Amino acid sequence: MFIDRLRDEVIFKIVYFGPGLGGKTTNLEYIYSHIDPRLRGNLISLKTKEDRTLYFDFLQVELGRIKGKKPRFHLYTIPGQAYYNFSRKIVLKGADAVVFVADSQKERVEDNLYALEDLEKKLIRQNSSLAAFPWIIQYNKRDLPNIEKVKNLQVQLNFLNVPSFEAIAIYGTGVFETLRGAIRMVISKLS
Amino acid sequence: MEMSQSKNGKKIVFSESSFNKIAQSLQALKKRSNAALCIFADANGYAVSFSGEAKEIDISSLSALAAGDFAATSEMARIISGEDKFRYLYHEGKEKNVYLCSVGDDYLIIVVFDKSVALGIVRAMTHHLSLKLEDLLAKLRQEAETASDFLDSQFRELLSAELDKSFGVK
Repeated sequence: MFIDRLRDEVIFKIVYFGPGLGGKTTNLEYIYSHIDPRLRGNLISLKTKEDRTLYFDFLQVELGRIKGKKPRFHLYTIPGQAYYNFSRKIVLKGADAVVFVADSQKERVEDNLYALEDLEKKLIRQNSSLAAFPWIIQYNKRDLPNIEKVKNLQVQLNFLNVPSFEAIAIYGTGVFETLRGAIRMVISKLS
Repeated sequence: MEMSQSKNGKKIVFSESSFNKIAQSLQALKKRSNAALCIFADANGYAVSFSGEAKEIDISSLSALAAGDFAATSEMARIISGEDKFRYLYHEGKEKNVYLCSVGDDYLIIVVFDKSVALGIVRAMTHHLSLKLEDLLAKLRQEAETASDFLDSQFRELLSAELDKSFGVK
């Protein structure tokens, strides 16, 4: 969180974390294309030639002034590939909340678990943990044929019973619900 | 005042006078080096202050990208030297260049300048400013301030209501 008392603004950082090709960037792309243009900046997307996130995507969204103060949200995605491990750690630094974007397909079970374990390790290095840090889960790709049942995903990934959302990010289903859920998580931790 | 989280978990509070000092230092750097734009940002990519022409450049995005640049190359720094990140990064374009300098662990200076300006001048002056700002930051490091003064319970309730209005599903 960054509080700017001179400009009466507060900036929150929300990081979309999860296995590679899980739909993190797709979430940001949908938000960018469906939010009131007056409430957002440019979507900065750094992709390789293979359309993989190079190191992060960045989108700034904001709300109107509340009691004279403007809330802004910096949304980041992290690169899913293993060799960007150290970069992931740095992008995660200073995050106020994490959206863990899980891939619902059965064959991605291990990738989801590996990414969640990675998140926990990085939080521990920041003197936090999954139990202490504000995070939520999005079960993405619910439209695909070979998907795990939500109740099984809950057992595998949501052992801490954080808020979870089903999504089909490519069509926008659940995308804004997830974003609102993440922001509410941040707000609840402020009190 | 501005507040941001530092690496060690403590928050730095910029009083109005220290904020003004930073703003004046950026103005001086811009003027002396003949740069187009100078930004002081934190390592999370939040722009604290800037000096220069901002009409054509999105300060928020540039600051986030600069912070990301250090993040992206940190893996390279780790491989070649075991360090957390490079101290300086430089990108040269056809017309405009950008020079990035880390200030301690938690802040950075971004200088945008055109091809008529010598890199050596930008480098020397930015290095000088980074040392000056490191001293200032060291003095400002203090116990964490809570956010509750700024974001009271009424603000949080109104924010929650505003979320449904503005970030609703279309």
